[in-house]
Amino acid sequence: MDNPLIQVDPGLFIWTILTFLVLLGLLGKFAWKPLLAALDSRHELIKNSLDDADKAKQELERLQQDSKAIISEARVEAQSIVAKSRSEAEKLKGELRQKAKEEADSIVRNAEKQIQVETEKAIAEIRSEVVDLSLLVASRLVKKNLSREDNQSLIEESLEQIESHRA
Amino acid sequence: MIAEQEGQAGAFDAGEVIIGHVSNSSIDHPIIHLPTLLGINFSVTKHVLMLWMVAAFLFIVITWSTQKYLKQERPIPTGFMNALEAVVQFIRDSIVLPSVGRKFLNVWTPLVLTFFFFILTANAVGLVPIFEVLGLFNHFVLHAEHDSMIGLLLHGGTTVTSNFNVTAALATITFVSIIAAGTQAHGFIGHWKNLAPPGLAWPVYIILIPIEIMGMLVKPFALTMRLAANMTGGHIAILSILSFVFIFSDLFHSALAGVGVGVVVAVPLAVAISALEIIVVMVQAYVFTLLTAVFIGMAINVHH
Repeated sequence: MDNPLIQVDPGLFIWTILTFLVLLGLLGKFAWKPLLAALDSRHELIKNSLDDADKAKQELERLQQDSKAIISEARVEAQSIVAKSRSEAEKLKGELRQKAKEEADSIVRNAEKQIQVETEKAIAEIRSEVVDLSLLVASRLVKKNLSREDNQSLIEESLEQIESHRA
Repeated sequence: MIAEQEGQAGAFDAGEVIIGHVSNSSIDHPIIHLPTLLGINFSVTKHVLMLWMVAAFLFIVITWSTQKYLKQERPIPTGFMNALEAVVQFIRDSIVLPSVGRKFLNVWTPLVLTFFFFILTANAVGLVPIFEVLGLFNHFVLHAEHDSMIGLLLHGGTTVTSNFNVTAALATITFVSIIAAGTQAHGFIGHWKNLAPPGLAWPVYIILIPIEIMGMLVKPFALTMRLAANMTGGHIAILSILSFVFIFSDLFHSALAGVGVGVVVAVPLAVAISALEIIVVMVQAYVFTLLTAVFIGMAINVHH
């Protein structure tokens, strides 16, 4: 058993176990434990990130659908508002036209009435003027003042004459 | 070193040189003398020193890069950390998890990881001719005495995993871990009961129990032999092929013959075998790690 390749060396055997166990303890404390924990935590981090990304994607899709719905709703509303305001404007236009027409009519009617009143007034004025003038003419012609009764009858007569003349 | 020994002995003895390169340095001429305790010589030989170097290297590199990575504000692995993390994740998810299961994953992953990195580094260091370069430097420049620190460092191989004592120690750790894992999962009595399936006729147990106990011991024995023999074998092959240079020089009494053989045959072949050795280095570290995880898993998840 002189061959150094198969020499039994209990010292080396024990040194190996000691060295290995010390290395295991040191690496376990300072390298493997934190490293394995870091691997696990990164595993979790990646998983959570992917989950979050999925969630965000779904949320985005939901928001997009929401906004689409809101936009189409708003479009419908706008259309109805436009239609409503158009019909209201139409109605208002009709009302205004009606009112204007009525006003114009009343103006015309008033004017006609006034014209009539004025005409009648003018005629009455003319009539009294004519009486005065005839009186003046008559008095001048007669050169004397007739009695009141005579005057009256004379006036009646003249008036009748004028009336008939006019007629 | 080869040239040095050749100079001393006159004729070149390939066997002596090769054994000197793969075996441990002599316990009678250790690098550091330590007292004998309980009949065990604890002196630091070359292989003990290499164990410490491997352990120190691993501790510094792995702890430093892990701590640096963890101190970052946003933990994004870069460079070496990427590779380390990929290996760690592979070992945890593809070696430990399938055999041990999720419940005891975090208990046994550190052990299996340390096994893998320790064996891989110890295997790989053996492929790097650090001490051969130091020997050459010493031969031409330093001329250190045989008993000096450098002289002592030059004796013995660098591959600790090619020493049966080292691999036996590692396999012993596996052996103890198997029992510990079984005890943790099923209780101390439960673990030993799991050795043989229950409910068989009693004569079967007379045969079965010795077989199971043998099997229990064969597992670490196989681990010991496989790793040490593989790591020794490759180195012996490389050194034998490189020995052709000196054998042919001696044979033809001409350095030119040796150099010729070296250029044409020995160096190309040694390069090819070294390339093969790189694969062996990784495969053996992987196999030891995988089997340790599988054995621990078998003690935890018992199948009959």
